[in-house]
Amino acid sequence: MNLLLVGISHRTAPVELRERVDFSARGVAEALRALAARGSTRETVIVSTCNRAEVYAACEDPGATRADVERFIADYNGVAASDIALHIYELADLEAARHLFRVAAGLDSLVVGEPQILGQVKDAHAAAAEAQCVGPVLNRVFHSSFAVGKRVRSETGLGAGAVSVSYAAVSLARKIFGDLAGMSVAVVGAGEMGKLTALHMKSQGVQHVTILSRSMAHAARTAEAIGGAVAAPWDEMDAVIAASDIVIAATGAAAPILSKARVESVMRPRRNRPLFVIDIAMPRDVEPAAGEIEQVFLYNIDDLQATVRENLARRANEVSRAETIVTEEVQKFAAWLRSRSAIPTVVALRQRFEAIRRSELDRLDFKLSTLPPEARARVDEITRLIVEKLLLSPTEQLKSVSDADTVGAYSEALTRLFGLGDARDGSRDGVDRKVEPFARKRPR
Amino acid sequence: MNLIPLALYGLALVAYAWHFAQRDPAVGRAATTLLIAAALAHTFVIGMVTMEVGHLPVAGATSAISTFVWLLALSYLYVEMTTDERAMGVFILPLLVALQAIPALRPGIEDRAAVLQGPLFGLHVSSLLFAYASFALACVIGITYVLLFTEIKAKHLGFFYARLPSLQVLDRMNHRAIVIGWVFLTLGIIVGAVWAAQARAGFGAGDPRVQAMSLQDPKIFVALVCWAVYSFELFAARWIGWGGRRLAYLSAVGFCIVLLNFVPISYFLTRSHDF
Repeated sequence: MNLLLVGISHRTAPVELRERVDFSARGVAEALRALAARGSTRETVIVSTCNRAEVYAACEDPGATRADVERFIADYNGVAASDIALHIYELADLEAARHLFRVAAGLDSLVVGEPQILGQVKDAHAAAAEAQCVGPVLNRVFHSSFAVGKRVRSETGLGAGAVSVSYAAVSLARKIFGDLAGMSVAVVGAGEMGKLTALHMKSQGVQHVTILSRSMAHAARTAEAIGGAVAAPWDEMDAVIAASDIVIAATGAAAPILSKARVESVMRPRRNRPLFVIDIAMPRDVEPAAGEIEQVFLYNIDDLQATVRENLARRANEVSRAETIVTEEVQKFAAWLRSRSAIPTVVALRQRFEAIRRSELDRLDFKLSTLPPEARARVDEITRLIVEKLLLSPTEQLKSVSDADTVGAYSEALTRLFGLGDARDGSRDGVDRKVEPFARKRPR
Repeated sequence: MNLIPLALYGLALVAYAWHFAQRDPAVGRAATTLLIAAALAHTFVIGMVTMEVGHLPVAGATSAISTFVWLLALSYLYVEMTTDERAMGVFILPLLVALQAIPALRPGIEDRAAVLQGPLFGLHVSSLLFAYASFALACVIGITYVLLFTEIKAKHLGFFYARLPSLQVLDRMNHRAIVIGWVFLTLGIIVGAVWAAQARAGFGAGDPRVQAMSLQDPKIFVALVCWAVYSFELFAARWIGWGGRRLAYLSAVGFCIVLLNFVPISYFLTRSHDF
C-alpha cells in the first residue's frame, strides 16, 4: 500500500485559489464520500483549513490515484484543472508523511509554530474516521503526526512566545498575575482597539471589565457590545483604575491622560498590588515615566510589537530542533511501513498452517466420526491451539523486524521452507499436494 | 558515607540545570528522580547514624548541616510536587551541593555532649533547621522573583520569562515560606532559651558553653538579628504594604545572615554552641 498526498497550501497557491478550493464549505464528510465513491483510494483524510487543502490517501496504484485525486480536487470545487495544476503538489510515502508531520508541528504554517493546526489535523482525522475512510496506514501516519505535534510543543520552543500583539498582552498579564480569572480590567477609551483587546482579555477568563469614556453613552454601547462589561463615567477614572489590575489605554487623545503623578496617586492605596498598563493608543495615553513606579508594568504598542518580533526570531531558532523530531518520527514511520511488507508472508504462513491442519483433520475424519461431538470439538480446538502456538513467535519476530533487507530475507526463507509461493497465490490444490510427504511419515 | 548523597545531589544539579536550559520534560523527570534518589540515600545515611548514636544527628555543627541539607531537599521536593514547578530546582541544588560537601568531605563523629539532653534540645535544633530550610526556599524564590521582575520591567522577555512561574505565584510562595520559617524560628529560639535556663540551673551548671549562652554570644545574637529581619519582613508585608521586589531582596538578605550564622559562626566564632 502506498501513501499519497495531493494538495495546495499558502506556500504554493494565492488566496484567491485557496478560497475556491475549500472542502469544508459543504462539509468534509461529503467530500470524503465523493472521493471514496470514485474508488481510486483505499483510505482518505482531507485536511482543509484556510491556508491549505490537502488530500491524504492510501492506495494500491499511486500513479492512477494521483491523477484521479487531482481531477477530484478540481471537479469537486468547480475549478478548472489547468488553474490548479501549477499550484498543486504531490508527495508519496515517506515524503508525504514528513509533510504531514511538519504540518502538524506547525512548521508549514504561515505563522511558524501556531498551535491551532494540530487541532485542525486531529479534526480532519476524526472526520475521516467517522466517515469510515481511514484504515491502518492513515491511522498510523496521523497518530504519529499528533505525537510529532505534541513532542514539538513540549520539547522545543517553536510554539513559545506570543506572536500577535493581543496575545503578547495576555501572556504578559499571565506572567504578572498568574491566573486571570479574578482579575479586573479597566478600558480607557471606547474605541475599536480597546474593545478588541478587552474582548480578548474576556475570552482569557477575565471577569470584570469596566469601560471609561468621555461620553457615557458611548461607554455604555461598547460595554454592551463586549457583553458582561460595565460602563463608568470619565471622572471616576482614578477610582476605577485603583480597583483594577489591568488598564488598557486606547483613547484618541492628543496628550497623555495618565501622567506619572496621577498613576502614583492611584497606586498609593493599592499598596503592593501590581498594575499592568497596556497603552495601545497612538499617540500615547500614558506618560512613559509612569513605568518607573515600582509595581507598575507599562507596555505600549511598540513594546508589545518588539516582544512579538523577538518571539518570532526565537521561534526561527527552534525550527531545526523541530525538524529533528520530524525526522525521527519519519524514521519510525518508515520502520513501521517496512514491517508491514512482512504482512503478506505472515498471512500466507498462517493460511498454510491452517490448510495443513484442515487437511489432516479431514484425513482423520473417518476415525474421529466415532467420537461424541464434544470430543471432536476438543480435537479441533487443540489442533488449532497447537498451530497458534507454533506460529506465535515467528509472527511476532517477523512483524518486529524493521529493516527492509531482513524482512525480505525472512520472507524469502519462509516462502521456500514452507512452500508459500503457491499458497500466496491462494491455490488450495498445491497445499494438499505438498502435505503428502508429511502424512506418509506419520506413525500409524 | 555522606559522599553518596553528595554525588547524587551533584548529578541532580546537572540534570536540573540541563532541564532549565533545554526545557526537555524527560530531563526534568530525570532530575526529580535523581533528587528523590539523593534524598532517599541521605535519609538512609541519617537513619544509620541515628540508629548508631540513638538520636537524630543534630548535635554537632557538621551533622546539623547534613540534616539541614536533608530537610531542605525534602522541603523543596514537597514544593515541587505540590506546585508542579521545577524551575526553582536549579537555584536550590547548588546550595544543597555546597552545604553537603562540608559533612561529606569533613566527616565528624556524632558524639553528643552529655549536657545536650532532654526533649527541649531536640525540639530546639529541629525547629531551627526547619526554619532555615524554609528561609532557604524563600531566598531562592525571592531571587527568581527579582530575575523575572527585572526582565518584565526591562521589556526583554527572554530566558527567565519563558521558564519561571508568574510574579504573583512567586510572591505568594515567598511569603508563605517566610511565615512558616518565622514560626519555627520563633519556636526554636524560645525553646532554646527555656532549655538554656534549665541547663544553667541544673544539669549543665558546670559547662562553660552553657554559661556562654547569652546575647553576647555571636551565634545567639545573630539568630536574634535574623528573627528581627524576618519579623520586620512580615510586618512590612502586612502593615506597610511592602511586596514584590523589596520582600524578595529582604528574603535574600535574611538567608545570607542565616547562612553566615550556620556555617562560619558555628565553626569559628561561637563559644556557646561549640559542640
